[in-house]
Amino acid sequence: MQLITEILLTILAIVGFGILFSVPRRVLFIGGAIGGWTWFALQMGLEAGVTNVVSTVIASFTAASISHFLAKRLQIPVTTLSIPGILPLVPGSLAYFTMLDFVEGDYLGGLENGVQTMLQAGAIAAGLVLGLAVFSFGVGRGNRYEAGS
Amino acid sequence: MGAKADKVMDVCLRAGELMLTYGAETYRVEETMERMAKAAGFRNVQCFTTTTGVFLSFEEKKGNGDLMQMVRVKDRMQDLNKVAEVNQVSREFTGGGLTVQEVERRLEEIFAQKVEYPIYVIHFGAGIAGGGFSYLFGGGLFDWIPAFAAAVLASITLLEIEKLLKVRFASELAAAFIGSSAGIALVTLGFGNNVNQIIIGSLMPLVPGVPLTNAVRDLLSGDLLAGMSRGVEALLTSLSIASGVALSISIFM
Repeated sequence: MQLITEILLTILAIVGFGILFSVPRRVLFIGGAIGGWTWFALQMGLEAGVTNVVSTVIASFTAASISHFLAKRLQIPVTTLSIPGILPLVPGSLAYFTMLDFVEGDYLGGLENGVQTMLQAGAIAAGLVLGLAVFSFGVGRGNRYEAGS
Repeated sequence: MGAKADKVMDVCLRAGELMLTYGAETYRVEETMERMAKAAGFRNVQCFTTTTGVFLSFEEKKGNGDLMQMVRVKDRMQDLNKVAEVNQVSREFTGGGLTVQEVERRLEEIFAQKVEYPIYVIHFGAGIAGGGFSYLFGGGLFDWIPAFAAAVLASITLLEIEKLLKVRFASELAAAFIGSSAGIALVTLGFGNNVNQIIIGSLMPLVPGVPLTNAVRDLLSGDLLAGMSRGVEALLTSLSIASGVALSISIFM
C-alpha cells in the first residue's frame, strides 16, 4: 500500500520535473511512468536485500534501456525520457545531510555521507553507461589497432 | 563562397546553436550538423562542438579551400521541447522533405516560440516535484503542503533573479536560501513536522538534471572537453545550492 502511494507520488513529481525541463507534451507522462518504474525497481532491489548502490545501478540501467528503446520508437531525443527516468535516484537527501554535517562541524559524518552521495551518483552513471552500451551494440569503431568500417 | 554554401552554413550553424543552447548532448549537435551539411551535398564535413561554441567546416567544391565558420554560444538554457523540434526539422531535411529556405524559416519559428508550458505551470510543476520528493525522502504525508509552498517560492525566486542578474550561480544560491528559509519558517509556524525533508523537497527543483545527464553522456561518447565543462557547471550549481542552504540553516536553525 505504501509502495503504491510512493509510486503514484513519484510519477506526479516526475511529471512536475518534466514541466520544469519543458519536456514535449506527448512524452511528458511516458517520462513520468519511467520514473515510477525506476522507483519501483529501486525499492524492489532494496527489498530483496541488495545494497543501495547496486539497486541504484539496476534501476538506472532499466530506466536507461526503456528510454533508449522508446526514444527510437517515438523518434525523439533520448534525453527527454532518460532525464525523467533517472531523477528518482538523485541522492538529494544524502547530499543535504552531507552539507548539514559539515555545517554543524561533524566532519567525519559529513565525509561518510559525502562518500555515499558520490557512490550513488556514480551508480546512476554506471547504469546509464550500461544502458547505452546495450543499445549501441554493433556500431563499434574497430579495436585499438585497426579502424572499423 | 557561393550563395548556396553560405546559406547552408548559416542554417547548419543555427540549428547547432539552438540545440546547444537549449540543452542537447554534444554528440547530437555534431551529428545533426554533419548530417545536414552532407544532405546538402557538401563533402569533407567536420564539426567540433564544446559547451560554449560550435565550429563547422566543409568543402564547397574540389580544388577550392574548405569553408569554416563558428558560433559562440553564451547562454545555456533548458528547453528539451525545442531540442526535439530542431531534431525533427533536421530529420525531415536529411530525408529530403524540406528545402534550405524552409529549414531556415522553421528554425526561426522554433527560436521565436515561447516555452512549451506557461510560467505559472512551471512554478506549479516545481511545487509538485518538491512535495513529491519530500515524501519520497522520508517526510510525512502532511509535509507535502509546506514542501510544495517552499518549492514554488524557490522556483519563483530563481526565475526572478535570473532575469535581473547576469551571474549564473547567484540565482541558484538565492533560490536555495529563500526556499529553505521558507521551509524553516513554515515548520516553526506549525505546518509540517520534518524540517529536513521539507528543505530537501524545496531544493529538488533546483537540481541541475540536464547538465548532469549530458555530462555523463558526453564523456561516454568521447567528447571529453564538453563533458568536463558540463560536469563542472553541474558541480558549481550544486555547490551554490548547498551554500544557499548552509547560509539559511546557520542563520535560522
